[in-house]
Amino acid sequence: MDRVLTFVNSDRPYVRWGTVLLALLIGGVIWEIVGLQFNQAIMAPLIGDGVDHPGTLPRLGRYLFDDEEYLLSLVQSIQLFATGFGLALAVALPFGIILARLVMLRVALESYILMLYVTPMIALIPFILSILGFDFWPKVLVVYLFAFFPILYNTLEGARSVKPELLEVAKSFRSSELAIWTDILIPYTLPYALTGIRQAAGRALVGMVAAEFFLSTSGLGEELQTASRNFDMAGVLATILVITGLGITFMKIAGVFEQKFSAWRGLDR
Amino acid sequence: MTTGALTQPAESRPVGSLLANMFWGTSFRAKLTAGIVILLIWQVGVTLFAPAFVATPIGVAMAFPSVITSKVFLVASKGTLFAVFQGLAIALVFGTVVGVAMGRLKVLDRALNFYVSGFYTMPMIALLPLLTIWFGYGGDARLATVVFAAFFSIVINVRDGARSVPPEYLEVCKAYRAPARYVWFDITVFSSLPYLIAGFRLAAGRALVAAVIAEFFVSLQDGVGMFVLFNARNFNHDVAVVGVFALVAFGLMFEITMNWATRRFFPWYRRETKAD
Repeated sequence: MDRVLTFVNSDRPYVRWGTVLLALLIGGVIWEIVGLQFNQAIMAPLIGDGVDHPGTLPRLGRYLFDDEEYLLSLVQSIQLFATGFGLALAVALPFGIILARLVMLRVALESYILMLYVTPMIALIPFILSILGFDFWPKVLVVYLFAFFPILYNTLEGARSVKPELLEVAKSFRSSELAIWTDILIPYTLPYALTGIRQAAGRALVGMVAAEFFLSTSGLGEELQTASRNFDMAGVLATILVITGLGITFMKIAGVFEQKFSAWRGLDR
Repeated sequence: MTTGALTQPAESRPVGSLLANMFWGTSFRAKLTAGIVILLIWQVGVTLFAPAFVATPIGVAMAFPSVITSKVFLVASKGTLFAVFQGLAIALVFGTVVGVAMGRLKVLDRALNFYVSGFYTMPMIALLPLLTIWFGYGGDARLATVVFAAFFSIVINVRDGARSVPPEYLEVCKAYRAPARYVWFDITVFSSLPYLIAGFRLAAGRALVAAVIAEFFVSLQDGVGMFVLFNARNFNHDVAVVGVFALVAFGLMFEITMNWATRRFFPWYRRETKAD
């Protein structure tokens, strides 16, 4: 028993990769068996037999390679995400850095920003719906709100890490405003801001799907709704996989930047 | 700024104590002024540019006492809070077991890592259609969403905690031939408690959001989410805003309770994040 444990816990490459592959295989087989057992309105198998039990992977393949309408929905969703997220970035980052520069303003506003950061933005959707109605821009506002406060809050965190001594030295040497921004404020706040951006990517994805569910339905949210109304589980699962894939992609991209700049944290500590 | 704040991810930072520090710290006057200015802008902006039904600070303040004593609101709060606590309890028990096992046994970690991190990144809102079909349009679907939202963040944090047990402890255990159950329950679980708390705090936030999303989606009557949605749809925005405030208050209340419990029961776990 002990020897078995030592063996399966060892760091040999074939043990390591063998475990991963075996786990994936077992997971897939369980999914397949469960899917074949149940009615297709409750659960769809991974591969399926294509008749009574349409599979998730074939559906995913059809969606991504052979379904113009679905690709259009995907593009629509990405557009929504990119617009909301881009706007949030464009406002939150400069605002956060300005707060780093104007210490008094930061002190005055930070508790309110923190409060909005902990507000579940999902609860604001009904207001947006009844004030702004059904359109593209209300949905952008939802994504924007989901993304804005994580970015701002973390940038603010960076702003608090800017040492006042540095700003004083810059001032006493009559450093230009541009130099203060490029040499002090941005290097200090950027690593924190990037943490916020990664967080915001995950939240904005939730915002995207929520907007597409609860405001005018469109994009992937609509595909998901339609499939679930038709009890088309293969479609539901395939769309969930697509959304998860999007999320992982966005977070990975943000994570790469975060890693790249995280070394800047606490340079002179 | 202390070093502790730098090494922790932002989301696991104790928001409640930060908030308290910020309020009662220096320059209270600046904060007060800023608060008054924000409320003024809101009030004036809404009365000048927005339709009459949009909430204003004065309207919210007027609606506040009657709403928080109304039966509908109390039933709704009870429903949401109960679902969140129940879901968190389930997620905590199973999440800790899975997390500790993953942290101690490399083979389990390798086998489950793909699934855990996959489900962790999966936006729970996308799973709602599936969960409503499996659990029906009712309270069960909400509970399932809450458990799902909370479970994986607890697993991930507990696993990290179980991995970072100081190796000296384990060596001592080995030297004295301690039985496995001591290693697991007396050493691993206790030294991963700080991580567990961080994960629990994260999970609580996600669980609250999950409960609200589920209430929207299922149109569940006894929930704060539905309370907000219903009143916003009927253009009672002043009343609906009180619901949003209640959600924020739940989140903060939870934070504060966690902080207090940490200080009271785990005094050796000193948190270093304090606003300065």
